[in-house]
Amino acid sequence: MNKNKEKLLNSRYRAEKRFQFYGKSAIFLALLFLTIFIFKIFSTGYTAFQKTWLIVPVTFDAETMYLDENPSKEDLEDADYFDLALQTMFNLDKSASEKQQNDLKRMVSYFFEREIKRELLNDPSLIGKTKDVYLTASDDLDQVFKGNYPRDLPEDQRRVTDYQLKIFDQLVEQGRVESKFNLSFFTYPDSREAELAGIASSFMGSIFSIVVCLVIAFPVAVLAAIYLEEFAPKNRFTDFIEVNINNLAAVPSIVFGLLGLGILLAVFQLPRSTPLVGGITLSLMTLPTIIIACRASLKAVPPSIREAALAMGASKMQTTMHHTVPLSMPGTLSGTIIGLAQALGETAPLILIGMVAFVNTIPGSPLDPAASLPVQIYIWAESAERGFVEKVSACIMVLLGFLIIMNLFAQIIRHKFEKKWS
Amino acid sequence: MKKNGVKMIKINSKNVDVFYGKKQALFNINLDIEENQVTALIGPSGCGKSTFLRCLNRMNDVIDICRVKGQIIINDFDINDKSCDVVRLREKIGMVFQKPNPFPKTIYENISYGPTIHGMAQSKNEMDEIVENSLKKAALWEEVKDRLHEPGTGLSGGQQQRLCIARAISVKPEVILMDEPCSALDPIATAQIEELIDELKKDHTIIIVTHSMAQAARVSQNTGFFHLGELIEHGSTDKIFKNPENKRTQDYITGRFG
Repeated sequence: MNKNKEKLLNSRYRAEKRFQFYGKSAIFLALLFLTIFIFKIFSTGYTAFQKTWLIVPVTFDAETMYLDENPSKEDLEDADYFDLALQTMFNLDKSASEKQQNDLKRMVSYFFEREIKRELLNDPSLIGKTKDVYLTASDDLDQVFKGNYPRDLPEDQRRVTDYQLKIFDQLVEQGRVESKFNLSFFTYPDSREAELAGIASSFMGSIFSIVVCLVIAFPVAVLAAIYLEEFAPKNRFTDFIEVNINNLAAVPSIVFGLLGLGILLAVFQLPRSTPLVGGITLSLMTLPTIIIACRASLKAVPPSIREAALAMGASKMQTTMHHTVPLSMPGTLSGTIIGLAQALGETAPLILIGMVAFVNTIPGSPLDPAASLPVQIYIWAESAERGFVEKVSACIMVLLGFLIIMNLFAQIIRHKFEKKWS
Repeated sequence: MKKNGVKMIKINSKNVDVFYGKKQALFNINLDIEENQVTALIGPSGCGKSTFLRCLNRMNDVIDICRVKGQIIINDFDINDKSCDVVRLREKIGMVFQKPNPFPKTIYENISYGPTIHGMAQSKNEMDEIVENSLKKAALWEEVKDRLHEPGTGLSGGQQQRLCIARAISVKPEVILMDEPCSALDPIATAQIEELIDELKKDHTIIIVTHSMAQAARVSQNTGFFHLGELIEHGSTDKIFKNPENKRTQDYITGRFG
C-alpha cells in the first residue's frame, strides 16, 4: 500500500518534470527561430543604413556649362550640367578609351549631374573654381565597398568591370571613398536605382493609410460595439450580427482587397493606388478587430459600476457615457492599436487596389499615389540587384521598429490608464 | 413615525409577483413600509428579499428576463405604472449595495456625481457643501476631508461602504434601500454602519436586507420574514423576534433552518 503510494507520487513528480521540459523546449525553439530571423535581417540589412560616396574634384567651368559672365540665379538653374558632370568623371582617368569612359560614368548614380548642380546652386561663387564634391557611388560599387560583392568572380559574371574596380581602388587609396549614414534611404522615394531608392514614399503612404483607417474604423467600431453591448436587445438578430462580426475578423485580407477593388475603385471611382482607398480597405479589415476588443473591454467593466450609476438615477446613456465607456477605453485603445498594427503590416489588399505601383514621388496627401512599407518590401524583394537585397532587410527593420513602437504604446496605455476597482 | 397616533406609510406594495423567465421568484407580496423607520427584510438565501428590494427602485428593469406584476405605491403613485420615470424614481430612492461599489474616481467625484446629473448645485460652493454634508452624514468626513481628490477605491472596505452611503444620500432621497450592506465588512465597520443607519432614519426611510438576525434586531423597528418567495410574516421587530405568529418564522429566528 505504502509502496504503491510512493510509486504514484514519484510518477506524478516525473510527469510534472516532463511537462516543464516540454514547455521549456517549446519556448527555446520559439526564441531560436526569432533569433535566427532577427539575426538574418540585421546582418543583411544594417549596411543599407550606410551609403558610399565618391569624393570627386569638380571644376565648375563656366564654358562647359554654356554660362555667360555673371549668371543670374535662373541662369544657374537652367544651365546644362551634363557635360560638366561627364567631364568630371572622365577627368578621373584622362587616358580612358571611349568604352572606359562609359564605365567611368557608370561608377556614380545617374543622379550625379543633379548633385553637382545642387553644389553650385548652394554656392554660386564656385564658378571657375575646383571643389571636392560628394557623388553617390553606383549601387554596384556601394556593394563592393561594403564587401557584399564577390570580387573574385570572372569579369563577365560581374556587374562591375575590372577597369571600374581599378579606378575605384585608386580612389580608395587616395581616401576619396567615404561611407556615411544613408539619410537618403529615409528621404528619397522609391527608385529603379538601388543607391537612390528610399522609403519616404512608402513610409508616408503607410502613415496616411493608417490615419485614414483609424479615422474611419475607430468611431464606427466603437459606436457599433457600444450599441451592441449596452443597448441592443439580446435576440436572434443581434446574435446573428455578433456571429458575423466574429466571422468578418477571420476573413482573409485579400478578400477585403477585392472588395476595395470592386467597390471603391470600380463603382465609386476613387483614385487608385492612393492611401485613401488603401485606408478605407484596411479599415474594413480593422473594424471587426476593434469591435471585438471594445466589446470585450465593455464586458469587463464590473456590473456593480453600472448598477451604482443607475441607482443614482443616471439614465442608461449617462451610465454608459460617464462610467462604462471611459472605463473600457484603455482596453479599446490598445485593441485599436493592435488592429492598426495588423493593418500596417498588411500587403495583399493593398496590392489589389494598386498600391503596388512604382511610385517615385513622396505623397503629400492621402489622395496622392503611394506605396506602403510592406508593399515596398514586396517590390524590392522582386528586384534582382544586390543593392535591393539589403534594402529589403532595412525596410523590414523600419516596419518592425514601427510595429514594436505601436505595440509598446498599446501596452503602456493598457497599464497606465487601466483603473483598478475593488 | 407616528403622526397623530397614525402610522405613516411610505411604501405600499400590493400583490407583487416577480418572475425570472418562467420561474416565479415572488408570490403576492403585500408589505407596507413605515416612513422614517428602519425595516429589515430577513430570510434564508434565495427567498426573494433582495428581489423585492430591487423592485422598489425598479433595478430589476436591468435584468432582461425579469417581469414584475402588481402595484408598488410610493407617494400615492404606482412606480410600476408606465408613466413612471425611472430616473426620477431612483433620484428619490437611493440604494446601497452588498459589495461597496464606489466609482473608480475621486472621493469628491463619487459624491458629486448624483447632484451633478440631477442639477442640484448651481455653483462650485454649493457642490462643495453638498459633498461635505453628505460625507458628514455618512460619518466619513473626518477621515477623508484631507484627501477628497484621491481615488475612492483606495479607501478601506468599511470606508468605501460609507462612501457609497454618502453618495446615496447626496441627492437627498426619501428612501434608502440597503442590500446586505455589511456582509463584506468586519465587525467594527459593521458597527459603524449600523450606528449610521440609526442616525439616517431621522431623514430617510430605510429598508435593509440582512442575513444577520442580530443585525435586524439591532437596527430595525419593523421586520419582514421571507421564505421561498413568500412574505411569511411582518410586523414590529420586537414582535417578530419575541413572539412570532408563524411556525416557520419561529424556526428561522431560533436557527432551526436557514
